[in-house]
Amino acid sequence: MPSNLIEKFKNKQVISKLKSHDKEAFIKVYDESVKDIYRFVYFKIGSREEANDITSMVFLKTWNHIQNNTLVDSKTLRALLYKIARNTIIDHYRETGNKMSASLDDEEHKIDILDEAQDPQEKMDKESNLELIKSKLPLLKEEYREVIIMKFINDLTLEEISDISGKTKGNVRVLLHRALSALRELVEADNKGADSL
Amino acid sequence: MTDKDLIAKLNSLKNIDPDQSWLTSNRELLISQISNSGALKLSTWKVFIINFNSFAKAASRPAYSLGAFALILITASLFSHQVFSSAKPNDSLYIARIISEKAKLNTMFNSDERNKLAVQFATEHAQDISVILSDPQFNNDSNKDQVAKLNESFNEEIKSAKTHISYLSSKVSNEVKNSVDASGTVSMANSLKDNSGVKLLEEKNLNQNITPAATTTSVLVMPANLIASSATATLPIDKVGESDKENQTVNADSILEEVKQLFDKKDYNKAVDKLKEVDEIIKN
Repeated sequence: MPSNLIEKFKNKQVISKLKSHDKEAFIKVYDESVKDIYRFVYFKIGSREEANDITSMVFLKTWNHIQNNTLVDSKTLRALLYKIARNTIIDHYRETGNKMSASLDDEEHKIDILDEAQDPQEKMDKESNLELIKSKLPLLKEEYREVIIMKFINDLTLEEISDISGKTKGNVRVLLHRALSALRELVEADNKGADSL
Repeated sequence: MTDKDLIAKLNSLKNIDPDQSWLTSNRELLISQISNSGALKLSTWKVFIINFNSFAKAASRPAYSLGAFALILITASLFSHQVFSSAKPNDSLYIARIISEKAKLNTMFNSDERNKLAVQFATEHAQDISVILSDPQFNNDSNKDQVAKLNESFNEEIKSAKTHISYLSSKVSNEVKNSVDASGTVSMANSLKDNSGVKLLEEKNLNQNITPAATTTSVLVMPANLIASSATATLPIDKVGESDKENQTVNADSILEEVKQLFDKKDYNKAVDKLKEVDEIIKN
């Protein structure tokens, strides 16, 4: 049986179980997608503490959504979770009145790249490059940052991104291209500045 | 920096995960928050319905649907016969039994086996009809129409069984005829039986290095006409078996005639016994 069919079957099965208010199925969904949702929120908000709170809120809101029988048969369950996360972040912006402007993250939470065979110099370069990208992400426009996170960090398909954002696939493709160009310009400008010093 | 480099670096950001302690505590918190709402546990029937619907939705593509349909059809044709085999001619499920039997017959590729099975089904139907008609509570004036219909069905079943038996019988007799023609020993013995049957045997025995004394004795003990006259005596065992089969099919046909007569005389119990005999013959 093709894996695509199995995946489709599992997705439909989980949605149906959730529609029947199955708690165990919901906890399974939480286990499978909490890290992705956290990452999405974190890169949009820029703070670990707030990302923790908002991620908790996303799952509770999803459960309430199911309880109120308003669960629409989204193309995938993943898309539904992202939609709720997106709306929760918008609510958060409204409440706090400011969008993320500072750099992503604190010094305490640096990304660890585990590669023993890597040359130390190479490793340092890679780490600094990553830090550079992390620092440039918040400077991007909101919609650019969002598509970059969904496509390249959380591996969502174009179809899913289009379902979540309400844009056509063609628009998402154009948006991704522009977002990558904008990020590259920012990174290259920073590199040039460092070289001139 | 190319797009590829940039994408590779972005992919590395997947390493960012929440703290494990937060993950655990938040999971517990979520469980406690949802504990007062939702279903306790879904019933087996509900889970079955969910799985069936999910599969139907997932497999809604034509290729999958066709595959599922073929699978259901094959499974039904193979197993439905066992489910409906107990349905009697006056039951509402009897039509399902007939359909499943037809489906089973149509899925058989060996024509001999198919004919045997058809005879078996026909005799079973005839037996069931006889059993029903032997019941005086059913076989009375109030069920006149139904009894007439069953009588008609019985005749049709016997006719069907006889047709399939005649097909089997003709096939077996053809096989016996072909095997006799193909056997050189038998045809030679037949052609030379009057003139040189003894000589032929002597030559054959000499070729097998048997002493002349022994040969003479054997020829004297076994008369030449007896050796040559019985074709089956020189046939190999499997050919003898085929000849028996031919006799059996002819026998089954004549038993069916008897069954018909017994049925017409309303001796249903004996008719059932005879039908069982036919069933045994065909199975063997």
